[in-house]
Amino acid sequence: MPEFANPVDPPDIGLLPTFRRLLRLWWGERRLGFVGLAFALAYTLISTTIPLLMQQAIDHAIVRRSQALWPYLLLILALGSVRFLVNFLRRYATARIGIRIEARMREMLYSAYLRYPRAFYDRHATGQVLSRATNDLYPIRYFIGWGLVQGMQSVMMIVGASVVLVVVDARLALYTAIAMPPITVLALRFARRVSPISREVQERKGDVTEAADEAVVGIEMVQAFGREDDVRERFGGKATAVRDTVLRQAGVEARHLPGLYYLPALSIAAVVYFGGRQVIGGHLSIGQFVLFETLLLQLVWPLEALGWITNLAQRALASAGRSFAWLEGIEPLPEPAEPRHLPEGPLPVRYEAVRFAYGGEVDVLRDLDLAVDAGEIVAVCGPTGSGKTSLLDLLPRFYDPTGGRVLVGGVDTRDVRIQELRGAVALVTQRPVLFSALLRENLTAGREDADWDDVLAACEAAGVDAFVDELPNGYDTLIGERGINLSGGQRQRVALARALVTGARVVVLDDPLSSVDTLTERRLVRRLRPALAGRTVLVATQRLSTVEIADRAVVLVDGRVVESGRPADLLRAGGTFAALFGEEAAA
Amino acid sequence: MRRLWRYLQGMHLRAAAMILVAVGNAACQTGGWLLVRSAIDGGIAKRDTRYLTVIVAIYLAVAAAGWFLQAILIRGLAGIGQRMVLGLRRDLFDHLTGLSLRYFSQQKAGWIIARLTSDVDAVSDVLSQGMPTLVSSVVLLPSAVAALLIADWRLGLVVFAIVPPAIVLTRWFTHVSHVALVETRNRIAAVTAQIAESVAGMAVVQAFNRERAFQAQFDELNAANRVQSIYTQKIFSIFFPSIELLGVTATCAVLFTGEKLLAHGAVSIGTLITALYLLQLVFQPLQDLSDVYGQLQSGAAAMVKIAAILDEEPTIESAPDARPLPRIDGDLDIDRVVFAYGEEPVLRGISIHVPAGGCLALVGESGHGKSTLARLVGRFYDPDEGAVRVDGVDLRTVELRSYRRTLGVVLQDPFLFSGTIASNIRFAKPEASDEEVAEVAAAVGVDRVAARLSGGLDHEVREGGSGLSAGERQLISIARALLADPRILILDEATSNIDRPTEVLIERALDRLLAGRTSIIIAHRLSTVRRADEIVVIERGRVAQRGGERELLAQDGPFRRLAHALEAA
Repeated sequence: MPEFANPVDPPDIGLLPTFRRLLRLWWGERRLGFVGLAFALAYTLISTTIPLLMQQAIDHAIVRRSQALWPYLLLILALGSVRFLVNFLRRYATARIGIRIEARMREMLYSAYLRYPRAFYDRHATGQVLSRATNDLYPIRYFIGWGLVQGMQSVMMIVGASVVLVVVDARLALYTAIAMPPITVLALRFARRVSPISREVQERKGDVTEAADEAVVGIEMVQAFGREDDVRERFGGKATAVRDTVLRQAGVEARHLPGLYYLPALSIAAVVYFGGRQVIGGHLSIGQFVLFETLLLQLVWPLEALGWITNLAQRALASAGRSFAWLEGIEPLPEPAEPRHLPEGPLPVRYEAVRFAYGGEVDVLRDLDLAVDAGEIVAVCGPTGSGKTSLLDLLPRFYDPTGGRVLVGGVDTRDVRIQELRGAVALVTQRPVLFSALLRENLTAGREDADWDDVLAACEAAGVDAFVDELPNGYDTLIGERGINLSGGQRQRVALARALVTGARVVVLDDPLSSVDTLTERRLVRRLRPALAGRTVLVATQRLSTVEIADRAVVLVDGRVVESGRPADLLRAGGTFAALFGEEAAA
Repeated sequence: MRRLWRYLQGMHLRAAAMILVAVGNAACQTGGWLLVRSAIDGGIAKRDTRYLTVIVAIYLAVAAAGWFLQAILIRGLAGIGQRMVLGLRRDLFDHLTGLSLRYFSQQKAGWIIARLTSDVDAVSDVLSQGMPTLVSSVVLLPSAVAALLIADWRLGLVVFAIVPPAIVLTRWFTHVSHVALVETRNRIAAVTAQIAESVAGMAVVQAFNRERAFQAQFDELNAANRVQSIYTQKIFSIFFPSIELLGVTATCAVLFTGEKLLAHGAVSIGTLITALYLLQLVFQPLQDLSDVYGQLQSGAAAMVKIAAILDEEPTIESAPDARPLPRIDGDLDIDRVVFAYGEEPVLRGISIHVPAGGCLALVGESGHGKSTLARLVGRFYDPDEGAVRVDGVDLRTVELRSYRRTLGVVLQDPFLFSGTIASNIRFAKPEASDEEVAEVAAAVGVDRVAARLSGGLDHEVREGGSGLSAGERQLISIARALLADPRILILDEATSNIDRPTEVLIERALDRLLAGRTSIIIAHRLSTVRRADEIVVIERGRVAQRGGERELLAQDGPFRRLAHALEAA
């Protein structure tokens, strides 16, 4: 199969273009950035001066005793205090840049998420979308907030210390640098090896989370079929995989970290041996001897840091490349160039030769024609998988048809501004989505300024009033993930009331009462009819009792309307509709 | 934390060995500097190059030994720690899956999952990353102090002037940074929750034009997180430079004292130089310990929450003398059952008898106890009073899992596991052949669903079945129950999202495949209920009416009201 660019899954952006984009973000924080760089330079200068002062102090004040010691000590302490300030400001400034850019990128991603089309969410799992705006941003933050300036400081430090060492004794500097190349190599190799493993550890932990999640959410099924041992084995396997990966990580650490810790000993030994002989020969003072040791020890961390930073840079660029690909490559639903307005008053709905398919799959709707008069209530019926939900999802323009057009109030949905269209079309989805907020806030989500009496009327029509008194705080009860759990039927009724509150002129109901028991449903259907009066309604359903709310029923089979008419007439006609509901009606 | 020691069992010797290794490692680190002193005093100062060569050779050998010991320490401690973590994680999971549904209905799924994942990970971090640092630092700190005192006790005393402020500083830092980090975690958790909720409910956010409101909420949380992160970084930015400053101060103090001692010939120049570097070895463990301290605190907090689950007694378990259930006939006797989730009883004395092979339909309004009754039959709960018996045996006395394997349960909103459609059908009977799976799939119409999807029965199901419609998920779960070849079948509104003709198809398949099995049906549609041998109307936890369809319709009772409500349609 030839690769084709998926409009909701664009390829990642390359390293160089990603780096340019990150630099542009950094440029936005350039004031802090330059403060950081300037202080990094100051830090390097002070850090090479202090060992020099110590050398002078040892040689002149301690060994030869030709000068007083205290001026040296005071100077060292003064420089040490200045360095404290410089180091603090450098760290604080750069860390702030990292955090600000992280927050900025998260904000850009989130506001993009709000604009992305449904197709995007069909394609990407929730966890992936979530982690791109959370965990994936951390390497970027650390790279910009630490790595970038720390890397430059490391280079400055290495250059500064080398210059001092060479000036003091070039040959000794060469001997004692013996441990530096292996440290650099080891640090780079460690960073390169450990990061794929630590990423693997994260992945394995993700597997454990997934296994735990499934077992806990699906516990009833697990226990019902007595399959506890299976899931335990599965979970144990994933947990063992985590252990094995962590141990492999420990293996890599065991092979590299002690080396990084003990390799400097090689340089110390070189100083003691070669430097010692120089001292014996009178070519080197004892103070210079100490200077060598001190500076060499000071070089270890910058060299190690370079390893970490190259690695961090790669991870940051890779993850920023993915984020920028989404930010730039995914088009929200196009807004019309010359938007038209929906007419005043009740809105008719019309599907004209509509074809529709989910990305790359077979057609779900095939040349479907359907006209719904303003104020008419139409029930959309059909066997499981006949395209009912797809048909309804075209109305609020979750998707655009792949062929034909959808008209609301005589205007193509693509010619109206999305916000205006969605303001006119209220929707109740098959699986009701409520938010972690007060019941009151959930009800008015579609229209915040709704008159409270209207809300109460909607609650009565949708049957929310029947259970609201049982909630601990009535309409002010916190519901959802962080609050109390409503039953499936209760959630559906809240979703229904929410849609009614909006006052939308077109209402789309996708099997809105499937979790409500029959008696309650009967009562609701009776109350809903007047509540829906004057609005154009499409309602998908599997139940005859819900069909009863409609003026007309249409039957969908394989993406086409095969029957249309009054429910009673259709029952008598003995076609597909009668096959779907005949038995129920006869009860 | 004491629980954790249990998992150390059988590894005490290894743990003791690791402590010895840590001591050896610390000795190598500090001993190296003492050797440098000998090289300076005995070699350089005395102009003895041979002595110098020997000492440098020994120094290198000691460093090599230290390298080796540290490698063993890192690997060895990780091995011990991870074995403990694995034991803990498995025990926790095994324990959880054995808890009754009552527990799961009281706790939010996310809360339980966090115990199994992030909390165990916190403990794991302590054991695998924290432990090596902790062990080496705890050993290294006294070793470095001891080496200093050995080098020269007067210079060693300088340490006691520097260490107290260092400890105060470190304690301040661990405290403040811990508080700050906890708050940072809360803030980022709030941001994550906001994104997760928006993404999961995006259809509704967009349908109701709520984008701007959600953006505003997000911006507020994101900004709060940013402010808090910056504050935390400020604390970290102060700490490390402070330690650096203390180090410089200590160096000056050693130089100052050393100069005086040197003047009196009390110490050698080698001792003075060595003391400068040994001092750095005192600061390093202090810094490392401050890192570990935070980990330790979160690990301990995590362990407390984990212990809360481990202490939870399973309320439903097989009695010690429970018998495995032989092949049952399926005669079901619900005898004066009373049951309450909390205070208010849901079932108030219900007695129903279903003969083997019989079909019972439960009807009535939601919330009146139908599903609860079905769950008692599945022994997800035990009755408070009365008993449920199968073939005359009280369910409380049978081996739980052997009984549940004779059950087939289908719920209204069935859960699909990640994997393929086929693997979901196979869930209850992993050993089933492909033909068997295909057969039940065809029998209930899953094959038609699969035909529309790429890969057919091998189509990958996404997160909880989100790519499939409610009706399609129900079809798959019915196939799953059928394949299990149950003796007792419980259908709790199992076909509510399925169109009637498909339901008829399923009923025929059930009749054919499960002839002679006992079944309990909870349904809204009268047409679905009609095929039952007996219909029981449940009202407020009691049996309001029972009998065949005709019989019930003839009476002026709740069933007729229900039927009328439908006929009025």
